[in-house]
Amino acid sequence: MTRPSLAIAGLTACFGCQLTFLNCEAELPTLAGLFDFTYFPMGSSRREIGGEFTAALVEGAVSTPDDLETLVRLRSRSRVLVAFGTCARWGGVAAMNNHLSRVAMIESVYGKGAGPTRSFNPGPLHRFVTVDFSITGCPPEKNELLATLAALLHGALPVFPQYPVCTECRNRECLCLLIERGEPCLGPITQAGCNARCPAVSIKCEGCRGPVTEANVASELEVLLEKGISREEVIRRMRRFYPEWDYGQRS
Amino acid sequence: MKQRFLADNALGQFLDWLTHYGVLHGPTRTAEGVDAFGPVQTESDLCLDYRRTLIPPKKYLLPPRQTILNYTTAAGYTLPDRPAPQQVLFGVHSCDLQGIAYLDRVFLGDRPDQLYRRYRNALTLVGLSCEPDPFCFCASSEKAPRNADLFLQRLEHGFIVSAETTRGKGMLAGLEPLLTEIEAIPPPPVESRMMIRLRNAAERGSTFPDSPLWENFAARCLSCGACSVCCPTCYCFDVLEHGALDGMTAERLREWDNCLFRAHGEVAGGHNFRPTRRERFLYRYLHKYLGFGALAGVPACVGCGRCRVVCPVAIDLTELFAEGDDVCA
Repeated sequence: MTRPSLAIAGLTACFGCQLTFLNCEAELPTLAGLFDFTYFPMGSSRREIGGEFTAALVEGAVSTPDDLETLVRLRSRSRVLVAFGTCARWGGVAAMNNHLSRVAMIESVYGKGAGPTRSFNPGPLHRFVTVDFSITGCPPEKNELLATLAALLHGALPVFPQYPVCTECRNRECLCLLIERGEPCLGPITQAGCNARCPAVSIKCEGCRGPVTEANVASELEVLLEKGISREEVIRRMRRFYPEWDYGQRS
Repeated sequence: MKQRFLADNALGQFLDWLTHYGVLHGPTRTAEGVDAFGPVQTESDLCLDYRRTLIPPKKYLLPPRQTILNYTTAAGYTLPDRPAPQQVLFGVHSCDLQGIAYLDRVFLGDRPDQLYRRYRNALTLVGLSCEPDPFCFCASSEKAPRNADLFLQRLEHGFIVSAETTRGKGMLAGLEPLLTEIEAIPPPPVESRMMIRLRNAAERGSTFPDSPLWENFAARCLSCGACSVCCPTCYCFDVLEHGALDGMTAERLREWDNCLFRAHGEVAGGHNFRPTRRERFLYRYLHKYLGFGALAGVPACVGCGRCRVVCPVAIDLTELFAEGDDVCA
């Protein structure tokens, strides 16, 4: 049996998701025996996209013509395309200011007269190509990455939780930062899977894993407004990892 | 009436003695200030006057996430062979004892769940009387439920100790050196108006179809899962299987589910039996208060009040009874 061939690549991103892969130190020798890492520019000097891939794990948002070209080439050569991390799945940090003027943003970074750039508003992969699966998170959780790789060996894809961070937070018997402390915790609208990593150490959920299925955004907003947190503050927090919330959505 | 009495100053010795029956757990307060059942080393670890723990004792019998089967290519699917830890759970209130009695009916009834039975047999229960607060409404906070091996009824300077099970009666004999005899009148059973309303609704099969509360609940609910995670009788679980990287072994898990999650009513092919939150609330109501299957007509709510305390948007299903009841109002 031929070994599955993987591509691991980054677009406009911090490469932290790919680092999650490299941080699986205990499993790397096993993984090296199970997969061919055919295209992995961060971890290998081979830089050409060639051949076909069982799966491509793509990190980052699409914000340049080069990103788009890489993405399309990976898509056309891969059986399974995985959006790897919050930027690839939802736009992420790169997209948080998509509502502002690009001309003004470019000017604030490069100065007056910097001329036009070829970049465009960062967006998630599914805006450009068909995405088969996603591993969300900023960065993604190791166990979800490993579960995905293990499932790919069996020609399958894993099932991840479709409930919010609150469920895992309650399961761990953490103090509810929203109810007990009135903090603007985004747990109720954020996809679980992190085992309430932040609330478990008394840090409110920042929403880094993006929206949960059927997030009741309107109700969360009402709760936070009742706690005396301003609408601007709530929206600023919510935009950090996903800029396109529908603030009237209830289901 | 003559009763067996454990003085306050003998409580430490009593706790030491309990460790003969397993590792001692009881109500504690975590560093963050959450009341939780957990390991108890000394009397000072205990939070004796706790109102309710965040998670009920069901976590000792049905953990939030549990391996139920192991798979290997050689042996196929097998039950995990790890024995359940021998544990003594001290300080369980009546509502939670009733919750365990309900779970016993679910998991040890017509088709016994082998893992549940393993954990249940290894768990000794020591009950403790409590003071009700505005959130809870159990019918008798003082009376010892029959599944408490031992039950401690708080008095001013100690506890009346009674044994309710065969195991408990055996334990009580060994406990004699720590006990004295006193004359005390057992407190009258407490009647809860809410519990009467609830039972009436169950008897009549009321579903309050015209109540505006259903839409109201559905619009506010965050589907955060707290109501079922914290409920002593919610036992719905999801079953997942993850293959290991070795390509030859796998674990099948069950983890707590919640009927307000979209995936709860979802089946293969993407069909969903309860696509809207409103439908899921009705389902929650039907199961919790009217019961179905082998437990049709048996209300599962024990009045612990947890769901009212932990809901971030203050949803309270008992508002249905208060609104619709004309018999006991």
